[in-house]
Amino acid sequence: MQVQVHELVGAVHEAAWLPWAVQYFFLIAISSTALLMALPGFVLGRAGDLPKARLALMVAVTTGVVAPVALLADLHQPFRFWEFFVYTHTTSWMAWGAWIVPSYVALLLGFAWAIHRPAFYAMGQENWRFAWLFRLLALKGEANGFARLLGLGAGLAALGILLYTGTEVAVVRARPLWNSPLLPLQFAATGFVGALGVMLVLERVLNRDGALEETLNRDLVFALAVVGGLGIIWFTIARSGLSPAHSQALASVAGFPIWKQIAAWGALAIVVPFVLALVAPRNTGWATGLIAIHAAWMFRWTVFMGGQAVPKVGSGLYDALLPSGFDGLMGVIGTFGLWIFLLIAYTTFFPWADATPPAGRRPSAPAHPARSV
Amino acid sequence: MDTTRRGFLGAIGKVTIGAAASIAGASQAAEAAQSDTPTAVPHWGMVVDLRKCIGCQACTVACIMENAVPEGAFRTHVSVYELVKDGQDPAMVMLPRLCNHCDDPPCLPVCPVEATFKAENGEVLVDASKCVGCAYCVQACPYDARFINHETQVADKCTFCFHRTQAGLLPACVETCVGGARNFGDLNDAGSEVSRMLRENEVSVLRPEMHTNPNVYYIGLDDLLDGRVAGEAAYHPEMADSVSSHKEGL
Repeated sequence: MQVQVHELVGAVHEAAWLPWAVQYFFLIAISSTALLMALPGFVLGRAGDLPKARLALMVAVTTGVVAPVALLADLHQPFRFWEFFVYTHTTSWMAWGAWIVPSYVALLLGFAWAIHRPAFYAMGQENWRFAWLFRLLALKGEANGFARLLGLGAGLAALGILLYTGTEVAVVRARPLWNSPLLPLQFAATGFVGALGVMLVLERVLNRDGALEETLNRDLVFALAVVGGLGIIWFTIARSGLSPAHSQALASVAGFPIWKQIAAWGALAIVVPFVLALVAPRNTGWATGLIAIHAAWMFRWTVFMGGQAVPKVGSGLYDALLPSGFDGLMGVIGTFGLWIFLLIAYTTFFPWADATPPAGRRPSAPAHPARSV
Repeated sequence: MDTTRRGFLGAIGKVTIGAAASIAGASQAAEAAQSDTPTAVPHWGMVVDLRKCIGCQACTVACIMENAVPEGAFRTHVSVYELVKDGQDPAMVMLPRLCNHCDDPPCLPVCPVEATFKAENGEVLVDASKCVGCAYCVQACPYDARFINHETQVADKCTFCFHRTQAGLLPACVETCVGGARNFGDLNDAGSEVSRMLRENEVSVLRPEMHTNPNVYYIGLDDLLDGRVAGEAAYHPEMADSVSSHKEGL
């Protein structure tokens, strides 16, 4: 039967999760995956992993602080956040997330503080402008044997973050594009891609160590391969009809030229850094890093804003893909601005380059900030 | 049922009844509202007879006026479609949409603070004093029936006009329906008009594949319209530059 349908009167539903949500999911995924990459160097004490772990810890801390700010901004009643802890509804993944997020941030900050404590203490003993600040930060001591325990706790909480953020979205049956058990894995894998991208860019800015760049690019190749593999699995399931939800998801967007452009762009954002990092793991860090960051961010933008642009019952697409204004692009710019500020503050004031495993050798030379202040 | 929640919107349920007795289900609603016996607890439902809907949007306007719905949002509205089948003459099809007050509402378990709840008479309601505006319920609703009210900054939706049914009145959209397409009453009462309509007609629900057990039923619903409707979207000035038509499938 040939049928033509024209919607003459229909309501438009605006996106309820704003770009703040994209920023939160982007930053918290980078933070949790970066922390997991910091653990081999700091908790397991693998000396070869230390340069990578130092960058990873810095990325984890800065994004881990900004992410909850974006999350709070996405609430339409931000001053009621305390109700999450008073009326915990155990059937809601978001309710669990409300407990996991602060636990993660607290453990992450505690771990970072413990790792840096000996250097804080050493810097507090010197005669210089900010010695008083570092005496305060060191809390009158340099012992940090408990850092491993904090690191393990933060690692567990990071896994909790990856589990809850992915599952929270994946259980929404009303949105077929989200309703996939692959989504938590995709969030985690693209989180690693984003974190490695940020670390590559920071390596180019701060270290310029070819060996570290090569290591990061090798890791990026693996992470991008996982992302690509998951995408191929999703597409194969959707095309095969094995899962009605996946087929419905593909069918809901396949007819739109803009979604074909998004798919092609997304594929390029994976393939180009993959090939670059594989073929030339040195001196490509800027390109692979920036494209990797773009890929991780774009994946979340497509999932959240693109997903909300697909009507559940109406025809066509809603105008959610390119929101503007304070809750739109300004929210994105503002969040990134705060993050860059924290990165500058961290690299300026914290002895991140002197960070060592808790049982390792203390810095023999007097510790100094990475940049003169 | 948490009895404190019955005080939602001011506990105005002791008002005398009878004003709306000419509309289907009103007498049952009134009796149920007065009764305190457990067996008489009504389970509200709506039967929309699409053969009678003329798409006048009186229900849309009545709802907005009754519930102070802000501009750009709707607790209910009537979608209007033009269907052309096998080259025949175009047919205008109306589809009133509202919260389905599901018996298994997907919006309820996702609410992180238990602000969304199922009331004693089957309504799915939001306790605005608890809602944090996270919009998780907006995402979970398969009918696009929820929205964030930008004046209250909390989740908003059709309540089956809880404040009116508590007073023995019909929901505003039913009260104002010109053609008598919207019928409201007690699904637990075999003698109610809505129960009779369900017995005597073939009825459908929206998105049956979601297994939400809706309490809004439709008579004369075309299968093409019971889920996401493929085809060309209505013109919206703010979206004039975007692609607005598609076909379902690859």
